[in-house]
Amino acid sequence: MNYDFSKPQRQSISGIVIMAAHTLQHTIRALIIPLAIFVIKAQPKMLTYSAIGIGILTLVILFFSYLSYRKFTFFLDDEKQEFVINKGIFNRTLLTIQLDKIQQVNINQSLLQKIIGVYSLQIDTPGGDSNEVSIKAIDEKIAYSLKEHLLNGQKATPTEISSAENDVLQTSTPFLKLSATTLFKVGLTSNYGSSLALLAGFIYAIFHNAKELLRAFDTDNGQVEAAIKTGVSLFSVGILVAIFLGILLVINIIRTFFKYYDFEISKHRLSLLISSGLFSKKNTLLSPQKVQITTFSQNYFQKKFNLMDLNLKQAHSGEPQNEKDLTKTNLQVPGCSPTEKDELLLLILGKLPETGAVFAPNYRFLNLPIVFTVLFPMGIFYIFWFNFQQLYPYYPLTIFYFFVATLMIYISYRKHRIVVTRDLIIKRSGIWDISSEIILPHKIQSITTFQYPWHKSVDVGHVNLHTAAGIIHFKYGNYTEIKLLVNYWLYQVESGSEEWM
Amino acid sequence: MQEFTNEVIELELLPKYEEVNLNAPDPKYWKVILINIFIFFGLIATILTSLIIFIDKIRPSALYLVVGFVLIFILNFLLYRASFKKRGFTLREKDIIYKSGVIAETTSIIPLNRIQHVALDEGLFSRIYKLATLQIHTAGGSSGHMHIAGIPVEQAKAIKEALLKKLDLLAE
Repeated sequence: MNYDFSKPQRQSISGIVIMAAHTLQHTIRALIIPLAIFVIKAQPKMLTYSAIGIGILTLVILFFSYLSYRKFTFFLDDEKQEFVINKGIFNRTLLTIQLDKIQQVNINQSLLQKIIGVYSLQIDTPGGDSNEVSIKAIDEKIAYSLKEHLLNGQKATPTEISSAENDVLQTSTPFLKLSATTLFKVGLTSNYGSSLALLAGFIYAIFHNAKELLRAFDTDNGQVEAAIKTGVSLFSVGILVAIFLGILLVINIIRTFFKYYDFEISKHRLSLLISSGLFSKKNTLLSPQKVQITTFSQNYFQKKFNLMDLNLKQAHSGEPQNEKDLTKTNLQVPGCSPTEKDELLLLILGKLPETGAVFAPNYRFLNLPIVFTVLFPMGIFYIFWFNFQQLYPYYPLTIFYFFVATLMIYISYRKHRIVVTRDLIIKRSGIWDISSEIILPHKIQSITTFQYPWHKSVDVGHVNLHTAAGIIHFKYGNYTEIKLLVNYWLYQVESGSEEWM
Repeated sequence: MQEFTNEVIELELLPKYEEVNLNAPDPKYWKVILINIFIFFGLIATILTSLIIFIDKIRPSALYLVVGFVLIFILNFLLYRASFKKRGFTLREKDIIYKSGVIAETTSIIPLNRIQHVALDEGLFSRIYKLATLQIHTAGGSSGHMHIAGIPVEQAKAIKEALLKKLDLLAE
């Protein structure tokens, strides 16, 4: 099939429904609690009126979705190598994206889009708000064809994307595929942090909403708090903690399945296609040479299962950004074996990390964390301890804290290393998850070295390597060695002509 | 392929960034810093005096407040003086180096082929003394940017032009 993208064209007609549903979803989400309270409290007569009101609102939203569908066009300018989007009902917006600035194209499918049978296409450029450049409804074949055009714009002529090419695209065998058992292992061993945050958010929402609802009935006399209190006294805290951990693990496994079900990486032409998702299918295409930082990490459990976590960081705008943006520019490969990791590294870096010179920090690395996270809080505790008798029985806790915190700081010191090989820089760090961040020297944007006056005599200093995807820190190193390394890296960046993206 | 060479790199023989001579900021820039310090501390002094005059509870501890204020002022003054002496920048053939820092001594280096864009900023007080700040931006985010303050406007413009010309050359 040969699609001509050189003429302005619209999205798939079902885009109207998608856009309307999108707006409706946002409105409902914003109004859900007041609406629920209203429904409970209002008279039947009012309810009919409000139902009519909601009906009219839906119609208006549909009408506006139709208008924005009419006004939304996109096309590829082959001559200028640009992708152009024209949109907006009242405020017209003309978006122009240079093809060589595109670092990633996402083709996603939400549940509703799956039912209707369309995909959404999103274009990521460094420094751009990626939501700006998205097409909400597009047929699968057009989406994949357009994606190929966008990512290989310079090389591919329209005729090259033939039906045969398209078939190859769909049937290309993935070189990395996660099975259900691997996913189960991944769920057991990693990403506890985000599941914990999810659970905490969930519990907070339940607590908050329960109070809101009770207040609506004018019956809030502290039942929620009382219920929690009786709950605590019924179970012993130990059982409660066990249940909590159990729930956390279950949530973690379910979340992993949702997110990474059917996870596949395949390679075609110059780019990598990564796809995953249970209900909403997510496809991401990226060019390996645009990856800025490659990180792999492993914790104690993952080591037992022989699993690794791989993270590909791409350029972002560098401004403070939210979680959503971060996950967009960071691609995660949740569980791969060391051999699969090597295969991926080879694809992205063009070579495997060889053994190089290892640089370790000075023992002064330990001073600040011990003062601020161990001695300082303990000092505060003991000031209270001397003044309040109620705290007397709790002093063993501080001893426990002292040992655990000191041990953690010591581990982080032992793991803080920078490995420099001929053409790679590897920064190792971590306490539980031991991670290695790998960069190619030509991805460095700027280098900062600094030294405190009291470290001058002992020749200790720090270095930061700024890349478009974040900073690599190496702290408390031998400053003479650092200077030598910096000169070497500068030589590599300045003598080479390799583009950083 | 014939031109390919792969010689051993002698790390010790590479150009050393830490040994280049730095151009100090214009002496007039010290006056700009002084103006800024005095405005800032003048503001705090006004607030402090009005608090001491109008709030009875604070009055007994007025002496401590004033002594503390003066000490902080002197410390600040000395730190800025020291940092002013430390500052400096150099334009090399392939990169730009800037040294600064109030307490820690920071050296930043941006290779010319990594510069995204260059901006020239003239503050209110800097303009009085015909000084400017050269801002060099990279794709490395706000922490990777370089702000070189206290360069005479003419010189700053010349550097900016030179950098932009290099950028054009690289783009070709």
